Amino acid sequence: MDDWGELRRLLPAGAVLDGEAELAAYSYDAGLDRARPGAVVLAACAEEVRRTVGFCRRRRRPYVARGAGTNLSGGCVPLRGALVLSLARMNRILRVDPAGGFAVAEAGVVNLKLQEELAKTGHYYAPDPASFRVSTLGGNIAENAGGPRCLKYGVTTDHLLALEAVMPDGELARFDLKDRGCEVMSLLAGSEGTLGVVTAAWLRILPLPRDVRTVLASFASVEAAVGCVSAVIAAGIVPRALEVMDRDTVRSVEAYNRAGYPDAEAVLLVELDGEPAAVAAETQAVERLARERGALELRSACAPEARDKLWEGRRGAYAACARSAPNVQVEDGVVPRDRLPEAVARVREISARHGVKPYLLFHAGDGNLHPNMCFDERDAAQARRVHAAGQDILRACVELGGSLSGEHGIGTAKREAMRWLHSPRALRLFRDLKRSFDPEDLANPGKMFPDEGPWPAAPPARPARLLGEAAAHLARKVRDCAAAGRAMAVRGSGSRWPAAPEGCAEILTTGMHAILDVDRGNYTVTAEAGLSLRELRQELAAQGLHLALPEAGGTLGGLLAAKAWPDARGELLGLRVILSDGEVVELGGKVVKNVAGYDAARLLLGSWGTLGVIVDATLRLHSEPLSARAVPASVPFGAGPWQRKVKAAFDPANLFNPWFHQAEAR
Amino acid sequence: MSGGLGRMATDLGERSSYDAASQCCRCGYCEQACPTYVAEGSEVRSARGRNQLVRLLMEKRLERPASAQEALHTCLLCGACQTACYARVPTPDIVLEGRRLLAEKPHWLARVLTRLLAERRGLFELLLKAANLARRLRLSVLARPWLRLAGLPGLAEADARVREAPLVFLRQTLRERPAAARPQWLYFAACGTDYLFPRVGRATVAVLEFLRGPGNFMENDCCGLLAYNYGDLEDARLFARRNIERFEAAGGRGPMVGDCSSCTAFLKSYPQLFLSEPDWRRRAEAFAAAVQDVPEVLAEAELPALKDPPVVTCHNSCRACHGEGLKDEGPRAIRRLAGAAFRELPEADVCCGGAGAFSFRNPDLSDRILRRKIARVAGTGAGVVAASATSCLIQLADGARKYYPECRVVHLSELAAQAIQDAASPGAP
Repeated sequence: MDDWGELRRLLPAGAVLDGEAELAAYSYDAGLDRARPGAVVLAACAEEVRRTVGFCRRRRRPYVARGAGTNLSGGCVPLRGALVLSLARMNRILRVDPAGGFAVAEAGVVNLKLQEELAKTGHYYAPDPASFRVSTLGGNIAENAGGPRCLKYGVTTDHLLALEAVMPDGELARFDLKDRGCEVMSLLAGSEGTLGVVTAAWLRILPLPRDVRTVLASFASVEAAVGCVSAVIAAGIVPRALEVMDRDTVRSVEAYNRAGYPDAEAVLLVELDGEPAAVAAETQAVERLARERGALELRSACAPEARDKLWEGRRGAYAACARSAPNVQVEDGVVPRDRLPEAVARVREISARHGVKPYLLFHAGDGNLHPNMCFDERDAAQARRVHAAGQDILRACVELGGSLSGEHGIGTAKREAMRWLHSPRALRLFRDLKRSFDPEDLANPGKMFPDEGPWPAAPPARPARLLGEAAAHLARKVRDCAAAGRAMAVRGSGSRWPAAPEGCAEILTTGMHAILDVDRGNYTVTAEAGLSLRELRQELAAQGLHLALPEAGGTLGGLLAAKAWPDARGELLGLRVILSDGEVVELGGKVVKNVAGYDAARLLLGSWGTLGVIVDATLRLHSEPLSARAVPASVPFGAGPWQRKVKAAFDPANLFNPWFHQAEAR
Repeated sequence: MSGGLGRMATDLGERSSYDAASQCCRCGYCEQACPTYVAEGSEVRSARGRNQLVRLLMEKRLERPASAQEALHTCLLCGACQTACYARVPTPDIVLEGRRLLAEKPHWLARVLTRLLAERRGLFELLLKAANLARRLRLSVLARPWLRLAGLPGLAEADARVREAPLVFLRQTLRERPAAARPQWLYFAACGTDYLFPRVGRATVAVLEFLRGPGNFMENDCCGLLAYNYGDLEDARLFARRNIERFEAAGGRGPMVGDCSSCTAFLKSYPQLFLSEPDWRRRAEAFAAAVQDVPEVLAEAELPALKDPPVVTCHNSCRACHGEGLKDEGPRAIRRLAGAAFRELPEADVCCGGAGAFSFRNPDLSDRILRRKIARVAGTGAGVVAASATSCLIQLADGARKYYPECRVVHLSELAAQAIQDAASPGAP
């Protein structure tokens, strides 16, 4: 019981708590699950985190990093008697560099405090989760938090430049976006503290927009509102927020704060920002599109107070729910944007079946739904109904080609649901990554993934995608080579890397060159990896669609694998990959926000074929040509210890392009 | 165990204390509003943490209930969490319920003080005068080690922190005023004003006379907050009943003005003490409706401007902004009085760390909160900072002495009275 004596000696007085009330106060987050920790450490600096993790490693004590504890999915609830490692005291903003476009902050800095500091220099940090007034940057990173603004500016991971973290080996490491080879920094984002404890972050900051305007439009149906959203995106306008509320939600807010919203089936809020002239033109365009799509009522505002007034109802939505019952389950499914009307119909049907009432809010621009269901956790039957409805809603989202979570994470609440989204092989890949990083399973154990063991009866819900003939052939070839223990040279057109050493089996991707799907409603394209970039660009341009691609030769797969295009991380939504045993996994998907599982797709960027064979990639589409910067590919990369662990998880026998890691071994 | 409230008047309607505590959904949106959480970065010192602990106490799910004591005793009861909460969960009241659940019986000193105030006010005043005389002669310094030995470190701390030691109390002065035949207002003398800051009470009365004509002193009892926070609920009810009866005897018509926000906020919450006594509840509601705090009196009042005021800023006393919902009445009033010399105080509605006996019982934590407050005051460059509760006046004066001696601490009423005096003095335009 009392092995905290050593820990106390390692840390300043008062940093270790283990009284009963103290443990009880760290047994919850904003979700419903609870578990008492073995002890609590209030760390004030990275060195104290290092000592604590080192202690846990020596004593085989599990640990859970915690910021403000506003997690909605049980992410910071300490299972297995884990020690809670609170980072709330690490709240120093270390540097603000407006000229360099970045800020450096410790993990415990509250999002709002950073915003206040940045505002002094006319800047801001884009991620704006609803909890931003209290949640910490470390927590935002662990959950890969989003927010209304991420439609235009991307989620947390898109704003990371570098991270400093205490890794499961008990040492401090630094990961940079510019690291050569597969990029571990993006893997840490959204990993819910299961791979390491982030202690400080280098964040991209943006100048405050010169002008902001808000448009409110009401519609006779959710379908009409979503149709308007799609029309806005198709017109090449990227608002910074596109929010929809349904009639029940509007009515409940009106009863609470009388925001004066129209009483319609759906209310849409569009917010635009940028240079004044462009914003004015875009506002007019949005109003025109809304009218064309049958808007019943239109209001717009540019003065801050007037904009505030328009946002009052949206902002009050959660508050109204929180007042109507002790607990609010905020679901967080995500679907391809054009499937939103179907998703809404499914949510209503499911709720009716379970006898619960959903208040629907969604970040419509990125297909992220938040059905809010009010209940009292002390009423076990009611809580069960809400939970069951929530699970069914998530399953429906997966069936519609979406995902389990857009921004709240998996934690303890959606672990079992991961089976609907991911194949057993994909889950095994995630577990292999976790095991490779944290062999003793001490960093936030029991989160994100379903328990191992026999696969339960629940069938996968994700729509199946068949492999093309060429891809299936390659997968068979990889499987045969793997069985024979034969090294493989994974290559596209060979434009970036000369011929492979002799003796390797050639895995050429150029046989896979089809454009599989151009989705105009969702604005995504899925194309095979061996397709030449020029061909892909031409095909799309002929349809008036564009990728934010650089002027580069070679194949799509080569461009991604060589990370010759640094901004690819924000454009890449999903990948299918042949793993080193010949099995194919789907990582990510068609949705623009997705925090269900590790962001393994981004790991393939810069992997140079060492982790897997990219079969196809799903990318964002744009209605205007956007130029992207290509950088010269530089190889071989000097793999760091954590990149080698990634490699060990993907390709333990070092069969794919083995010379990269052999060079490293010398 | 002394009895608890059992039921509460919450923003969502009347609830059992357990339902009121269970309304917290643990979203954590109150965390950054809680001064002790911001100072310590510990969930145990946060509004959400305290709420959860009281709920566990009520559910009897703590094996060692006493382990929750420190969490509950480090609550300032400022109510900032309640303002931040969408459901307005009444955490201060819930924390007090928790303290009552924990305590075998109230602290004997609180009990003695309330008994004296209730039954033997004359003796209380005599003892206080003797103590104040000793303090003026600096004899009390000698008593501090003995007080600490006697298990009363709070009293020693209070002696060190409170500089006021009047020998003439406010009510003595007020009794000399002629009674008004048709009073336009009633004055409720808070104990803090009465026994520590009589100058504040004199200023308030002067301002009321200027603004509203003749009025009368209530000859009120203690509001009962001392008993509510530290003693016995029945004592709090005793004081409440007496004050309600006095008010009714004085005609039952307001406004009844008090000049300590903690006190007036508690007077306004009297109905909550009588939720299960319909007759008293009705009378308490009529009483509460008549109560006014100085910030609301001054906010819209027609007052002359201060002549050549120094740079002045305004601390928004917790029970005014979080207890009575007077969001910015105080600062607005001071802005009108001081004009261009007024400076907005950042974090004006964050507690100063005074909080009744908190600063005496938790001196270190209180001082951390105080330093942050004084740093904000100093940041405005103010030569004067105004507040509207006794506890703030003591605490801010202590902080100014230690960390920002250029600054003077006054009550809102004092600035208003000064403005009236400025206008009346020869040479005024």
